[in-house]
Amino acid sequence: MIEIKNLTKQFQNETAITYSDITFETGKSYMLLGASGCGKSTLLNIIAGILSPTSGEVLIDSQNMTEKSQKEKDKFRIKNIGYIFQDFKLINDMSVMDNINILKLEGVDTSCAPEILKSLGIYEKKSAKVKHLSGGQKQRVAIARAIVKMPDIILADEPTGNLNFAIGEEVIKSLSEISKGKTLIAVTHDDRLAKYFDCVIDMNKMTSGIVDIIPEKGADL
Amino acid sequence: MIRFALKNMAIKKVQIILVVISIILSAGIAVIAFNVSNQVSDGIEGNAQYYGVIIGPAGSKTQLAMNSMYFADEPVGTIPYSLIVELSTTDAKDVREVVPFSMADNYNGAGVVGTTSSYLAGKEIKSGKMFDDQGLFQAVVGYRVAKDNNLKIGDTLYTSHSAGDLSPHTKGITVVGILEETHSSFDTVVFTEYRTLWEIHEHEEEGHEGETEGEHEEHEEHGKNVCAFLIKAKSDGSAKALVNKYNGVVEVDGKAVSLQAIEPMSVVNDVLDETDNTKYIVYVLSAVILVMNIMVISIITLLNMYHSSKEIALMRLIGISMKKINLLYIIQNSIIGFVSIALAFALSRICLIFMNDYVSSMGVVLNIGKIYPLEIVILVGVFLISVLPTAIWTFIMSRRDSISG
Repeated sequence: MIEIKNLTKQFQNETAITYSDITFETGKSYMLLGASGCGKSTLLNIIAGILSPTSGEVLIDSQNMTEKSQKEKDKFRIKNIGYIFQDFKLINDMSVMDNINILKLEGVDTSCAPEILKSLGIYEKKSAKVKHLSGGQKQRVAIARAIVKMPDIILADEPTGNLNFAIGEEVIKSLSEISKGKTLIAVTHDDRLAKYFDCVIDMNKMTSGIVDIIPEKGADL
Repeated sequence: MIRFALKNMAIKKVQIILVVISIILSAGIAVIAFNVSNQVSDGIEGNAQYYGVIIGPAGSKTQLAMNSMYFADEPVGTIPYSLIVELSTTDAKDVREVVPFSMADNYNGAGVVGTTSSYLAGKEIKSGKMFDDQGLFQAVVGYRVAKDNNLKIGDTLYTSHSAGDLSPHTKGITVVGILEETHSSFDTVVFTEYRTLWEIHEHEEEGHEGETEGEHEEHEEHGKNVCAFLIKAKSDGSAKALVNKYNGVVEVDGKAVSLQAIEPMSVVNDVLDETDNTKYIVYVLSAVILVMNIMVISIITLLNMYHSSKEIALMRLIGISMKKINLLYIIQNSIIGFVSIALAFALSRICLIFMNDYVSSMGVVLNIGKIYPLEIVILVGVFLISVLPTAIWTFIMSRRDSISG
């Protein structure tokens, strides 16, 4: 369970973003929907421990993440959080497998990578260099790298941002399928994908002090 | 970690090859320059300090020293062997040991030296034994001569007047011993008892009855003569006294003979002083090349690290700790540094093999296995310099943690 309490973040020379208190329950999938600049990605980065909040708390299974040092946050992230970046964050000159095996540097067991690549339909590309893959394939590699360590939490920042709708929908389908039983929080601006999530949170309202959660899976906005 | 480091290096192979070549050239040149100049100096000085005085025919001092100690160049000429009587009796108070030295003839390009077994005192015999001072037609051959000519104990050598002479002497010399490798000019020469050379030429003269007067004089010259006497003096004062006495015209067996006496160490020092300037120029040039290449290595490494900033930030985002990233890049650069200095060292040893031909005229055989402490210092220094920029860069990166907001 992830709890957000009194959270604010202010970047230099910008207005502070204030988040309403919210709880992400374990095993559910959440879609954070909102216009760009409303603080969706910032929230994910704070949960992941990549950014530190200006004030407030983020509790993950009752552990106050904001009190942890950067080193402790890194350790927690590598063990418990799978993060899928909008721009993939893959090393283009390395192969698909090497991009996943990079996690071995931190002692992550990547032995299930072939199975995950098979389930994402890109196993045959395992030896190909990332730079030779299409956008959809790259996103699948990024998903595989995020979930290979079997994390309890999956954070996805605009996982379909660089893809057309058809491919994006395929990626989201794969992602929601593969993250069953885990906490999935995905940021997107495309409301047509809401049906693949348990809950949809309107971030425009959330950062204005209102939490608007549409709880039914499959409901269209 | 090492496996991943190798894979990461494979991505940047062009930059890495440039760094490796840069390190090989700079470290290799510095090591070769230092090693060769020191081996040559050590070799020349090592031989020179063995005898305090050399007496030979009047002429070039340097030629006398180079020929009788390093077997280089032609002998200045000959002097009567009977001078040894004067040296052993009248001069006994100054002379601790006197060794005759002749150099005549040639075996497949190797000089043939006529002397006594004392001349080879301290040299180890690899196989066989030392030639007998009372016996004739026995030879002890230098390590390189034996190796190059595939000589074994019991083989017979037929010497000739010169390397290109197609009609060797008819009287052969039997190999009784092969010297252990000395990495000096002793490896490149055939040694025999000095009277053997007289006997060979007397034997030849019997077969030269129809020769012209000039040719006869040439052979006569070999008679009971030697090229020099090498003397171990009893003291520095004794050496000076001998040099004073034998510089000039001296009467030997009732004949006036023009002689010169030299202290080989001072002659060699004069020669080395002449070459010292050249040596320092080589050192300075090597140092300049080394410094320039260190700068190039540092710049290329820092540029690589700068280009790797994105990669480092990416690894940080997915949760790889800065400690592991530091370690990864230090391992990468250590591999590059280690491989480069190993190749630089190998290159320097290969160059030593080729440079042997150039320094053999100075009577020095370069020892490929000879490693001076400063060579290790140069190589370790270059290794550290190849790793240091990475360590500093990654340290700076870890100080300003790239992901904390």
